[in-house]
Amino acid sequence: MAKKILIVDDSESIRLVVGTALRAEGYEVIVGNDGQHALDLLLESGGVNLIVSDLNMPILDGISFLKEVRKLDKYKYLPFLILTTESQESKKMEAKQSGATGWIIKPFVKEKLIAVVKKVIS
Amino acid sequence: MDEMKETYIQEANELLENLESSLLSLESNPNDGSNIEQVFRVMHTLKGNSSMFGLTKIAEFVHDLETIYDKIRQNEMQLSKPILDTTLLALDHLNKIIIDSELEEEDNQLNHTNLIAQIHTFIGKSGSVEKKEDSSVETEQDVEGPITYHVMFAPDASIFLDGTNPLILVSELTGLGKNIVIPHFKAQSIEEFNPLDCITFWDVFIETDKSIDDIKDVFVFVEDSSTIVINELKYTNLVSNKEFGEYVSSYMFKEKSIDVNEINELADKVGESSVKESSKAVEVTPVKAQTEAKVTTKKEAKEKVLSSIRVSSDKLDELMNLVSELVTTQASLTLFSQKNESPELEVISENIEKLSRRLRDIAFGMTLVPINNMFSRFQRLVRDVSNSLGKEVQFVTEGGETELDKSIIETLTDPLMHIIRNSLDHGLELPETREEQNKPRKGTVKLKAFYSGISVYIQIIDDGKGIDAEIIRNKAIAKGFVSPEQELSDKEIFDFIFYPGFSTAEVVTDISGRGVGMDVVKRNITDLKGSIVVESAVGVGTTLTIKLPLSLSIIDGLLVEIAKVNYIIPLSVVNKCYEVSNSEMKGNFNKLLVLDDKQIPFINIRREFGYKQQPDEEKSQIIVVSDADRKVGISVDHIVGEYQAVVKPIGKYYKNQDFISGATILGDGSIALVMDSHKIIDLYTEHSKLETK
Repeated sequence: MAKKILIVDDSESIRLVVGTALRAEGYEVIVGNDGQHALDLLLESGGVNLIVSDLNMPILDGISFLKEVRKLDKYKYLPFLILTTESQESKKMEAKQSGATGWIIKPFVKEKLIAVVKKVIS
Repeated sequence: MDEMKETYIQEANELLENLESSLLSLESNPNDGSNIEQVFRVMHTLKGNSSMFGLTKIAEFVHDLETIYDKIRQNEMQLSKPILDTTLLALDHLNKIIIDSELEEEDNQLNHTNLIAQIHTFIGKSGSVEKKEDSSVETEQDVEGPITYHVMFAPDASIFLDGTNPLILVSELTGLGKNIVIPHFKAQSIEEFNPLDCITFWDVFIETDKSIDDIKDVFVFVEDSSTIVINELKYTNLVSNKEFGEYVSSYMFKEKSIDVNEINELADKVGESSVKESSKAVEVTPVKAQTEAKVTTKKEAKEKVLSSIRVSSDKLDELMNLVSELVTTQASLTLFSQKNESPELEVISENIEKLSRRLRDIAFGMTLVPINNMFSRFQRLVRDVSNSLGKEVQFVTEGGETELDKSIIETLTDPLMHIIRNSLDHGLELPETREEQNKPRKGTVKLKAFYSGISVYIQIIDDGKGIDAEIIRNKAIAKGFVSPEQELSDKEIFDFIFYPGFSTAEVVTDISGRGVGMDVVKRNITDLKGSIVVESAVGVGTTLTIKLPLSLSIIDGLLVEIAKVNYIIPLSVVNKCYEVSNSEMKGNFNKLLVLDDKQIPFINIRREFGYKQQPDEEKSQIIVVSDADRKVGISVDHIVGEYQAVVKPIGKYYKNQDFISGATILGDGSIALVMDSHKIIDLYTEHSKLETK
């Protein structure tokens, strides 16, 4: 069965790029527009294998979203990758401390993204 | 990629709009921190998007701009009028270069340079644009030949809790080159043993061309929690050395990792030339984290809401229903106003009709998405499949702007994917075969979508070897689907392809041809109330045509009367109307009428519907409807006029027929039946076939 990935980003362009790349690899992809939307989706969807989330988002930002996810028993150990830019080094560490599995630095090429995703859910 | 680029541009435009309004409210409210945050956030998103799409000139430009606001945000700089003026100028410039990202226009180029210079005066940078490191491009170190590294990887005991599997990291590491892996266990007494702890650690010797950074990359997510020591050894061929291998293997499962000095000593013994004084040790130490509170303001959330909103589908359904009711009520109003012959009332009623029509179009347009989204997904599929089959394929899409209900598009993806795979696998020939047959080396698979009537057609057209009807027929006979003496048209023969358990491929491949499939494809499409038809010519190619209903339940129709019963014919299929005398129709034996000097087949609906008596009037109306590429006349008694019909299902008692697709309530409360002209014509052609037999 195809592994399911939840992509969370407020930018439609990023959702499209990441989603297309992952779908082409055979993953099932669902997308959230912000942390809150993603959280709703997560609760409705009945489980995903990985979350890839942006940090800077309206309504519920990435770190808060991550913390919420980690509060749920079912998703306590779910692989969680954050999308970040190189200028957010401190954010990276904050995310790590809040329980992120890893990160993908923007901008990235498709191959890099897929390599990182495979690394955490293969 | 084009669709993505389009999305990028669309979003960039939205962001710039957003930025403009934020800048303007910042100008009137310079001390409001949330405005600065908003400006920064929008710039940041724009920068990220631009760099993702490789538009470095835009990304660098926005980066510099963003730096200003970052400094203001951190109170390192004061917001001033010159800054705002420049930012607004930069905004105008960005609006232009979003579609000219390579600065091909001279004006844009000049503007770009000037603005960068201005921005740099604010952030105290001089000279050319700072070259940002593109983290996606690996900077390869100068490495001459392979180097042997010793890597000690001791994951943190809690590593499993992060969702990380250390074995994957080890196997990723060993993927870099020739290697020896020595696992160790940390001793734990039975009391302190915790099954969730990771007690394994590894010594890995790896001979690779890759740089030390590549090795560090493997551990990038665990570097702060795990102990990782990477030593570069001077000797390069240790991994394949038997004596060395035996020596390090003796450490397996011991509690202690292998000492670097020992390795170097051993290497000497193994017989390499000079000893390296000391190996370069790289210890990766945990980085102290800084925490930074992130405040999401309500304002930010509100701004975002403006660009697009999510609406629950219940509300949409409710809206559709209300619009339907409105259209029905409006019909009563029109009727009433016509009876009353009051010009004022008619004007009002006509205006309401116009408005309800527009409202209807907007309401129904909301659930539709262009089919392009799905088409572009197939590009990659075609590329991969054709590569693995050794075929050369040109993939063409047409009519991507055609809109369909989102749920239909989602259900359709898999069947289409299957059909395309079939075309590539069984349809198209290998390049050599094609050349022998004087066909272009490159095969073509075309995906085409278009509207016709109240349906959407999707065609998958290939110029491959086609399907041999005779082979299908023989196989159908062999499988007992049909008796040998039965005469069948090509269309009927090709229909066997959709029978469960029917597969004609001689060789079953990974790509397609497992014999499950086409029947599922057909079922999926039938579930969507659609139909699928195959046409094929040997040596020329195959065309599959899928017909799907539009989700619209309100249609523009032509209201007609047959034996005092009202019917609606969708206006979109109506071609022309003629008046014909009944005697002409009655005395007609070949079912052809000459209209405008052309012979047109016609259906006498009165007869088909079983009305014995002739119409009262002397003349009937013939409505010529188009169906795919033919034109057929349908006879009716009267034409009442154009009518906006809210099509309602007619219930389960009538489910065994399909030439009436629904019913609608007229202004006076009576009912009109909505004809499916396509099905009526099918019915007629089948009747005529039976009669000729």
